[in-house]
Amino acid sequence: MTPIILSFVILVCITCGSALVMLWTKNILHAALAMFMTMLGLAGLYVLAYADVMAVSHLMIYVGGVLILILFGIMLTNQKGRGDKDQNNLVTEESSRVWPVFIGLATFAGLIFILVRGNFGGMEIADSNSKLSFVGISLLTDYAMPFELVGIYLLIALIGATFIAKQDA
Amino acid sequence: MHDIPLILFLRAGAFLFAIGFSMLILKRNAIFVLMGVELMLNAANLNLIAFSRQDTANQGLLLGIFVLVVGVCEMAVALALVIQAYRQFQHIDLGRFKARN
Repeated sequence: MTPIILSFVILVCITCGSALVMLWTKNILHAALAMFMTMLGLAGLYVLAYADVMAVSHLMIYVGGVLILILFGIMLTNQKGRGDKDQNNLVTEESSRVWPVFIGLATFAGLIFILVRGNFGGMEIADSNSKLSFVGISLLTDYAMPFELVGIYLLIALIGATFIAKQDA
Repeated sequence: MHDIPLILFLRAGAFLFAIGFSMLILKRNAIFVLMGVELMLNAANLNLIAFSRQDTANQGLLLGIFVLVVGVCEMAVALALVIQAYRQFQHIDLGRFKARN
């Protein structure tokens, strides 16, 4: 077992274990913490897939942005919890656990079935160096139009979000 | 060179997708459901990036960056909607919305 395989196994354990915690827990703050660990593990997996730019931007956006947004959402919606006011005990309701977990297992088994039948051999790793300069150059040359469009899309979405969340809308 | 086999990335992506999907149908809190959607989005993104290793043009990586931006936009608008729904109904329990008339 080489160190890179070992680090892959550890990162997959972190990612999938935290995702399972997210699924299992009823406490929404624990789920937010588990989501943090999931995103951390996913960023590590991106590094192992030779996409270092993606890992850094994923960490910045998800840990720095989306998770804070979710925590603000939890705070602004004032979950009732179980009544212990001193503890972060924000227990939420959920449906019966049996059927959804069964459906999730069936989805996983179906995807694995498809993956086992597929043939992914014979493809060489194209480039195992850093992708930073490649991404920078292609975002401003070949992909300049989608890049600008996604900027406008982000602007529209953020203005729309502030408009929707307005107090007297 | 010790590269990770592609199939392991795909299996991890499948696992995350299944967990996200079951979160989507198991939880009744709207914020939990949004977290499940994010998990499914990231599982798809992991597949794109894993396939992009074999591509000399790295198109999966660039598509993954755009997917990231779209995910952030979706999250911002969805949380604004959740807050507005909380102002209307004083709860965000998805199972109780249908019972109101």
